[in-house]
Amino acid sequence: MNERVEKRSMGLKASRALSNTIIYILLIIMSVIWLIPFVCIVLQSFRVESTWQVGYVIPQQWGFDNYIKLWETNFPKWYLNTFIIALVVAVVQTIIVLCMSYTLSRFRFKMRAGLMRFMLILGMFPGMLAMIILYRVLDDLGMTGNNSLPGLILVYVASSGMGYYVSKGFFDTIPKSLDEAARVDGATRAQVLNKIILPLAKPIVIYTILTAFMGPWGDFVFARYVSQLKPLGMNVAVGLQSWLATDTMTFNNYTLFCAGGVIVALPVAILFMCLQRYYVEGVTGGAVKG
Amino acid sequence: MKKVLALILALAMVFALAACGGTAPAPAGNDQPAPAGNDQPAAAGNELAGTYDILVWVGEAAVDLTKKQIEDFNANNEFGITFNAEVNPVSEATAADQMLVDIDAGADLYCFPQDQFARLVQANALAKLGDAAKAFVVENNDPGVVAAGTAGESVYAYPLTSDNGYFMYYDKSVIPEEDVDSLEKLIADCEEANKFFAFEAQSSAWYLASWFFATGCVSEWTVDDEGNPLTVNDNFNSDNGLIAVKGMEKLLKSPCHTSSSKADEFANGAAIVVTGTWAYEDILKVLGDNMGVTDLPSFEVDGQEYHLGSYNGCKLMGVKPQADAVKGAALHKLAQYLTGEACQMERFNELSWGPSNLVDQQSPEVQANPGLAALLLQGAYSRPQGQIPGAWWNIASVIGDEVKAAASEDDLKAALKNYQDKIEALFELDTSALLFVGAWNGWNNADEADTFYFTKNDDGTYTLTLDVPESDYMGGRIVKPGDWGTDKGFAQVTDGADLVKDLGADNPDNNIVFAEAGNYTVTWDGAAVTIVKN
Repeated sequence: MNERVEKRSMGLKASRALSNTIIYILLIIMSVIWLIPFVCIVLQSFRVESTWQVGYVIPQQWGFDNYIKLWETNFPKWYLNTFIIALVVAVVQTIIVLCMSYTLSRFRFKMRAGLMRFMLILGMFPGMLAMIILYRVLDDLGMTGNNSLPGLILVYVASSGMGYYVSKGFFDTIPKSLDEAARVDGATRAQVLNKIILPLAKPIVIYTILTAFMGPWGDFVFARYVSQLKPLGMNVAVGLQSWLATDTMTFNNYTLFCAGGVIVALPVAILFMCLQRYYVEGVTGGAVKG
Repeated sequence: MKKVLALILALAMVFALAACGGTAPAPAGNDQPAPAGNDQPAAAGNELAGTYDILVWVGEAAVDLTKKQIEDFNANNEFGITFNAEVNPVSEATAADQMLVDIDAGADLYCFPQDQFARLVQANALAKLGDAAKAFVVENNDPGVVAAGTAGESVYAYPLTSDNGYFMYYDKSVIPEEDVDSLEKLIADCEEANKFFAFEAQSSAWYLASWFFATGCVSEWTVDDEGNPLTVNDNFNSDNGLIAVKGMEKLLKSPCHTSSSKADEFANGAAIVVTGTWAYEDILKVLGDNMGVTDLPSFEVDGQEYHLGSYNGCKLMGVKPQADAVKGAALHKLAQYLTGEACQMERFNELSWGPSNLVDQQSPEVQANPGLAALLLQGAYSRPQGQIPGAWWNIASVIGDEVKAAASEDDLKAALKNYQDKIEALFELDTSALLFVGAWNGWNNADEADTFYFTKNDDGTYTLTLDVPESDYMGGRIVKPGDWGTDKGFAQVTDGADLVKDLGADNPDNNIVFAEAGNYTVTWDGAAVTIVKN
């Protein structure tokens, strides 16, 4: 009996090693394919001998010229715009989403199911459908062009209540008896949320903040229309695209564009590295019970 | 009680929103009042005096120069006008798109390539030039460029440049100088050296037309005041057109062909790029002394040589229609200055933009510029772009792909037939409706309740039954929607001439004037009008 088991485990070891090798080779190939564009952009941003697209990847002359030149353009203004928008949206949207999830997870009220279904259906319409009318409304309120900041914040935050699914799922997994014990001890509903639920749901809070930050950080289509091409009202995505608008502009701005791209990616990359542990927990956490 | 309160609150919210809608400013776009411009008699100089805030869009390269030129205008103009200008970098092609997104938010003064002209006029995004400004533009500029800014009888835009044509840049280290006149030799050289031949024949009708012009084909359009197509003289689907696509096939099916007109193709392994003067400085940076510039080559089909043609186009500057007529008139003065002789010369010196001004074109500096010289060389085979309806660009641009995919001569013929069908379909849209405009429906040529539309019969004739009420003048005529043509009226009446009055010289518009009120049936059979009293 013992012998047989041993024999079989030997074969298992060999086949596991083989399959692992294949999987690793596959993964390495895939990661190289995925990483190539990013490596190219980073390398191009350090190229100083020419400013246009070239047929080689590794620069002949290295330098920080492109990064230094960025500060002489409108780029810092675009960066600040984007940062303010993303920060405000991250805070406000997180608060709204968490309150919404808590309410739908813990309270039982009339039309609760109806409301959830209604939001589900609303969510099925692509957001782009509302773009024209939203643009008109913002324009009439004077929140376009150079004043696009409040307008964009309003638009990004407005529908955030509907993104409660993942965090509500996570809240559902926290035992209700904890709430009840706290309530018996005299805690208010708000205290239950702040002192019991949120500390237990840290991963999902971080996940919510991250996604709320990422949405406006990379948005292009809506920001493009709201900015009305006024340089001071653009976010980074729109601004960088405006450098590549025509053939001749690509020619003079391509490496500058790459440098801008790298700077844009930095904070998000750092944020992800620091919060990665929570992020994975957060994404999968809500899936346990929906 | 709570429910009632909730209901009231909900209603209050709804009404609050409704109120927002009501007080919002009128929507932009086509609902604006008619273009003010300086349609009215030219205002005396001092009436224009004042300070105006304006937004200007020019290409990135021209921002600083334009700021300086506007300051010069502020300092030197005789009208006492001062502009507080915000000059933003918006590329010419983007400018037209952005104007159409929201005219209210668009620039007061903007530049665009002429192929965008028709749709800008259609969208009412350009203010018409007054008589004085029109005379100034016509007198001082290249006629081809003036035509590009003209729709119907009116001029809507100021000529900015006249250099929007294409020619050939090549790498002298790959292409021997004696080969540049023959397409076949150029293809062979590129294939041998494993280099690209970049010619944007697959996605751009602008470049693709080159082959058809080579064999003498034409696609000439007239458009009405709104930019809609009126007539076309197009023979791409002909024997000559077939020769053109056979020539095109040679290049498109060669492994060295790439469909592009970008300057940076040279950095990516191209030996030839067909593009325009705007790429000159950029290509010079890459090729340096190896840069060659010349006109397009000839191709050979059935033993005969055909020299590739080209479009000769331009950039224009437009003034947005203004609610404030005085500001509009002042803007026209600025546009006139910015597109005048001195400013165009400055733009040539600093940006190498080829001038449209006749005096500037003759100056020795302009004549000595290699890019413009090649354009001039190609000029013998080029056609002024004139007015082309926006739909044509999409219809024609697919020919390239169809030619590349073609397996036989029949496929090539099918591609041309397909093109012709689409052009004809463009006109069927316009000729499928006829209407009657008359004194008793307020000369209403619009899509409204009292518009009298004819019904199209199966045999191709049009019929309308209408009541003519008693009035002093019971006249009217048959027109197309949006059109005021005078070719379907009194002179075309055959049957029923006794029912209408002959006013002779008092009827310049060829109106059908009914002798008495009543109910009539009017029929148009494509050539004659029949009137029957019911």
